[in-house]
This record gives sequence, structure tokens and C-alpha cells, in this order.
Amino acid sequence: MVSTENPFKINVPDEKLELLKKKLELTTFSDELEGAGREYGVPLTDIRRLTARWRDGYEWRKHEALLNAELPQFTRDIEVDGFGTLNVHYVHKKSEVVDAIPLLFVHGWPGSFIEVRRILPLLTEASSDYPSFHVVALGLPGFGFSEAPTKKGFEIRQFSELGNKLMLSLGYNEYVTQGGDWGYAITKFMAANYGQKHSKAWHTNFPLGGAPTLKDRPLAYLINLVSKLTPEEKAGLERTAWFFGLGHGYSAEQSTQPQTLGYALTDSPVGLLAWIYEKLVNWTDNYSWDDDEVLTWISIYWFSRAGPAASLRIYFEANKANPNLFRLSLPSKIPAGHSYFPKELIKLPKRWLNTPNLVFESDHDSGGHFAAHEKPGELVGDLRKMFGKGGPAFGVVSGKTGYT
Amino acid sequence: MRCFWNMTRISELIPVQNSFSHTSTLATMAPQETPFQIAIPAEQIALLRKKLELTVLPDELEDAGREYGASLSDIRRLVTRWKDGYDWRKHEAQLNTELPQFTTDIEIDGFGTLNVHYVHKRSDVVDAIPLLFVHGWPGSFLEVRHILPLLTESSPKHPSFHVVAFSLPGYGFSEAPKKKGFELTQYAELGNKLMTALGYNEYVTQDGCWGHLVSEYYHPNNRCKLRGEHSNAWHTNAPMAPPPHPISRPLLFLNHLIFGYTPKEKAGFERSLWFRNKGNGYYHEQSTQPQTLGYGLTDSPVGLLAWIYEKLVNWTDDYPWDDDEVLTWISIYWFSRAGPAASVRIYFEVNKAYPNLLEGATSKTTIPMGYSYFPKEIVKLPKRWLRAPNLVFESDHTSGGHFAAHEKPKELVDDLRKMFGKGGPAFGVVHGRSGYDPQSRL
Repeated sequence: MVSTENPFKINVPDEKLELLKKKLELTTFSDELEGAGREYGVPLTDIRRLTARWRDGYEWRKHEALLNAELPQFTRDIEVDGFGTLNVHYVHKKSEVVDAIPLLFVHGWPGSFIEVRRILPLLTEASSDYPSFHVVALGLPGFGFSEAPTKKGFEIRQFSELGNKLMLSLGYNEYVTQGGDWGYAITKFMAANYGQKHSKAWHTNFPLGGAPTLKDRPLAYLINLVSKLTPEEKAGLERTAWFFGLGHGYSAEQSTQPQTLGYALTDSPVGLLAWIYEKLVNWTDNYSWDDDEVLTWISIYWFSRAGPAASLRIYFEANKANPNLFRLSLPSKIPAGHSYFPKELIKLPKRWLNTPNLVFESDHDSGGHFAAHEKPGELVGDLRKMFGKGGPAFGVVSGKTGYT
Repeated sequence: MRCFWNMTRISELIPVQNSFSHTSTLATMAPQETPFQIAIPAEQIALLRKKLELTVLPDELEDAGREYGASLSDIRRLVTRWKDGYDWRKHEAQLNTELPQFTTDIEIDGFGTLNVHYVHKRSDVVDAIPLLFVHGWPGSFLEVRHILPLLTESSPKHPSFHVVAFSLPGYGFSEAPKKKGFELTQYAELGNKLMTALGYNEYVTQDGCWGHLVSEYYHPNNRCKLRGEHSNAWHTNAPMAPPPHPISRPLLFLNHLIFGYTPKEKAGFERSLWFRNKGNGYYHEQSTQPQTLGYGLTDSPVGLLAWIYEKLVNWTDDYPWDDDEVLTWISIYWFSRAGPAASVRIYFEVNKAYPNLLEGATSKTTIPMGYSYFPKEIVKLPKRWLRAPNLVFESDHTSGGHFAAHEKPKELVDDLRKMFGKGGPAFGVVHGRSGYDPQSRL
């Protein structure tokens, strides 16, 4: 018997809204070099415009109500070994199709549960032409309205444990996962640790690997030596080089001194806005952000239960526990799927990727890091192909094919 | 991977002495100087107060200590003090009393005129050695405070200096450049022009933050055409050099393979590795997305406080910071003429101009060079990596960190006195200005 769920509605207290307004009214802006463009960071014109809107015009209550209407949300206490109980916020929507495939969606940073918004109606849609899913979108501890851990050392292992326990507590003994960014690392870990027993297949839009070495993948190494890079692969590697060369400062700081950074992000709305907005622009594929869309995204951080500083700690903890986690291939027996979007941050030649049991791949000619938000139709299309009739992962969850 | 090694020393770029001999002891007339007193407008102090009152602090993990960054208890205490108790006007007055300050317009090729703020104190000793002190980040002109009285002190027993400590453009009360591309060449040009404008055609420099090694390959001497602009010697407390390498530094590489490292050298490596693995996140962000970072530093007093305070603690050798001392240091950033965001651009500009600086470049300076070694400097390399033919002075210390002028003023000044004093390896390097009164030369 599944224990009952505790419904949750976002309801930010008035005092927090008033404080935000007061702070916005006192905003002090920096200057900017002539002709800086985006080369030095977020342009001043964007920040001024967004701050002015946030201060006057943007209506949090309206967007809060929309989120509450669109996303059925709940909270649940989950016990994590060594960390006690954490109250976890999540979205849960069941399809009308009784045997829909349970799917756990795991976001990353600077994302949140909001990233499930567009794919949710598509995933849960019933049709005879494609499978349907019961969707759970976990709010990572320290993000959105989930409680944050209070002890040191809460890293990928703990996030995975929590994700698995959440699904089990909802009666989904078997499920599949979809994740990008930290969601990739977390679901990869779940595939390794809970694969076959609980996690039955995993899909990511952020596949990783590394150039094959003679020692670990001799055949791939040899193939790589003789293969020339296609223009697409070159572009991908350039994007990757840009990311590690010019786009990685945030990660270096968050992985080493998250608390130091956290003070500014907690105290300054414009500081938080800039820190995240830079990624929303640089990491997407010319996605045309609406100002209110940006402000809602960032307000979730500003109004988050644990505050923005808590969200940074995953970088520190994961890096400390295993600096090679992203690159590492973890042994897994369950089927895996990749979706490739051209403006993803790390774009490696496919032969360098190291996902075991890769049964599904899909290429796209546009889209970036926030695939579920930018390209919901395409991402869901991929999941439908992967899990649908005739697809390589059809029927992985016993008795839940996704069809009536 | 970008790291601290990719930064270069401003003073090393300052044009070097040519063989032109300069005989007169000129009783050089100091040109007209425009005195400056720090006088922060009341509205700025009021705004700071309002912001501090609205401070929202994050939580902290149990037993985080300093492992995750600046500790919450420190920051909370400092914010409380800054809001109630810390008296900026008092410290402002003290700074104005202790540090004779001025401003002047300096023209920089391609950047127009910048109004530069500087400290200038002459010794009673007419032939004192002109010394240019160059601060770095997150420092300021304030760093000259403890060494100033010692350097300018006159005595037959040690040389004396005329001291100029300028605020780098974008720091303190200096104007910031408005155009892109203001990097080491420009900072050096500015330092040199300032000294020249003050009548110091030859001078020595001391710096401690901006890294090492720009080879004159990048800055050929023909940039420094103007006659009479000379840096005659330089001293640093943050020396750096490229590591042993089979091709670019083969002898050192052999040495590295054959001989081990002493415990002190190993401790230095650990310190350097700590910096590289845990301590240079700020560097990555500042050298790639300074504008993004700048918004938070400009808008949030506690954000700025934490960003800098973490360095004041981690980069010093158990220096017992007084809260008001910290707050004065940081208030200079908060109240700076150009705002805190301007100060981090130097990382971007230098990183862009010299992305591969240290890989293979070895020092090509020819002027006499001196190093002071402090154990808690953030990059600590074995001395044999640092040796060069023109390294004429070295001095070891058993305590002290990155902000040597602030933490160890006496030790640093003693080193300069030894380097430049009678019998020292750089004695008389500035023509006609030995640092002593004529009588004491006998």
C-alpha cells in the first residue's frame, strides 16, 4: 500500500515578497566596459531590464498560481543513511493509462523542478501511438522547496539513494529515469546501484565520457586514432573547450568555496539573477527567454526553502567524494539512451562516450543544455521512441508498457 | 588549466634602465601635486547602512569550519559590527592623517586620461631612493600603511626611501579604464608615467601580488622609448617561475629528477597545491566572467565582505585580523571610486592577453631582482626554480603570508634595507640616490 501523499502548494510568505522588493529598490548596479557585449559576463542592459521588471511589473503570485495549477506537488519525508530524514518536495503526475511507465525526472543546477513543466503534459498524455508515463520530478535537497541536508558529505550517492527511495515510497518498485546535468550523474549512479532491481533503464541528454585511452578501451583508441573529426564533432569539441576554458569559473568556485559565494547569492537578488541568468543564456541554443520566464526560474532560487547557498554544495560534495564522477563510466546492466543536442556544454564525439548498454541514440539540430525546457517535444519524442512499442527499451518495467 | 601562474608582474614590465648615465643628484623639484583626502559622501554611508540592515545570511553545514568557505560565525559577527559599531569616519580620518594622498591625471596610450589616486611620502633624506609600491587584488593602497613610516625613516644605519603607492586603476580612489584591454602593459605604463611625473626618473619597485614572468618577448624594449624612464631594480614577495621541464628548463628538470625536495619545499608544494585545487575558484571566475560576479559584489556588502575576507584569512599566516581592520580594508572596496566590479577585470584582461604566459616563459629581466620568501605565500616554489642570473637578493622568513607588507612590515622593510643599503647587492642602483644623507656616506 502506498502511503498517502502530502499535497503541497507553493505559498511564499508576504514578508519574503516585501523583503525582495525592498532589496530590489536598493539595488546598486556596477558599470560596464564599452563594447563589452557578453564577453565579460552578463550585459548590464539585460540585468537592468530584468531587475526593473522584477521590482515593478513581475507578479510572483501570478506565476506561483500557474505553477500550482500545472504541477501537482507534494512533500514526503525520506530517510537517507547517515543524514536522518529530509522533507523532499516533488511533482507527481499520473497518466490516465494505468500501466504507464513510472519515470523519475532529475534536474540539476541551476535548474529545479520547474524543468519538468513542459514535458509533463506530453509524458503523461495517453495515446495508442506512443507510451505514456507516470512522472515524478524530484526536487533535489537544497533546491526549490526541498529541505537541505545539514551535515557534510551529502553527495551523489545520497541523492541517488533518495531518488530511489522516493520512487519506492510511491509504489514504483520499478521505474526508468531521465536526467541531465547533475541529473545525469545521479541517474547514472542509480543505474549502477539500483539497476535491474529498481531502475530498469536510464536516459540522458548530457552523456559524457572521455577520449579513449589505449589501456581502458584499446579498440576505441585505435579507431579514434585513425578517424578524422567531422565538422559537427569539431564544433562539439570547440563548444566543450569554450565551456571548460571560459565557462567553468562558476564550477571552480562552487566546488571549492561554495559558502563564500553563497553570501552574495543569498543577500543580493541581482547577484543571484546575474549568476544564474548567465547560464540560461550561454547554455541554451538561442532560446528566446521571456523576462518573466527568467524571473520565475530565478525566484524559485530566491524563495527556495533552503536559500540559494545550499544549492551550490552539491558541487563541493560531489567533487570531494569523486572528482572523476562525471567522466567515469559506472558498470550498469540496464539499457541506456542518449539524446544529443548541439549546444549541450560538453559535446564529445560519440565514439568517446562510455555509457554501457547504449540502446538508443537520437540527434537533434538545435537545442542546448536545458533540453526539457527548450525542446520538450523533441525530448519526449525520444523517450517515446526509446520506450514505445518496437523501441529498444519497450517493456523494461514489468507489466507497465505505457499503453492501455 | 588556468592558474595563478598565468599572472604577470606589473613592475617587471616597467621600462628598464638603459646605459644612459645619470650623474646629477638633482634636487628634483616635485611637480605640483593635487592633494586628496578620502571623504565618502554621507549618502553612501547611509546606503551601506540600509543594505546592511536588510542583510540575509545563508545557513551553514554543521561543523563546516572554513572548509566550505568563509565561516558563518565570522561573517555574521563582521556584518553586525559593520552595521553598528564600526565607525568609517574615524578610520577615514586616520587614513587621511597617516597617508599623504594625491591624485593626478595620467594619459595611457589608447585609453585616454585616467585620474590616478596615490600615496606619496618623501623621506627627510633628500637622496632617498624612490620606490614604487604596487598592490594587487584584493589589496589596495592601504597595504603601504605599515611599511610607509619604516621606509621613509631616516637613519645612518639604513637607507631611506621616497615612497609612491598608487591605487591601480579600478581600485581605491583611482578612476577605472572604460575600454576593454587594459592589461599589464597599461598598468606598467601608468606606474612609470606616475613616477616620471613626480620627478623620479629612476626608481625601484616593490610588489607582492601580481605574478611573475612576462618575458620581454611580449614587451620589447622599443615600447619604452621615452628617455629617463627607468625601473632600476625590483623586489617581490610573491616570486614565481615555470616548473622544471625537459625542454624549456632542462637542467632544472634533471635536478628535479635526481634530487628530492626538502621538507620545507614539500610544505611549499602542498601550499601551492592547496591553492591550485581549493583556492583559485575566484581566479577562474574573475578571469572569465568578471561582470557576472561583479553584480553581487557591487550590490551586497556581505557578498563583497565574504569574497575578500576569505582571502584575508586563507592567504595570511594566522594573522590576527582585528574586525575593524578587516572592515576598513573592505570598505575601501565598497566605497571605491569605480566600485568593486571594476577591480576584478584585471584578471580577465591579463588572462586574455597572456593565456599561455607561464608555459615555457622564463624571466628575461636584466635589472637586479630581490625575493623575500614568506612561508604562507600562496604559491611556494623551490628556490632553485626561481633562481636567475639577476637575482641578487634573497631572504627567508619563518612566518608571514601573501600580504607581507601588511603582516610583516618590519621584516619586509628590513629586506629592502639590506638589498638597497650600503654593502647590499643593489646599493646605489638609482644614480645619485643612495638612500643616505651625504654626510653619512663618509
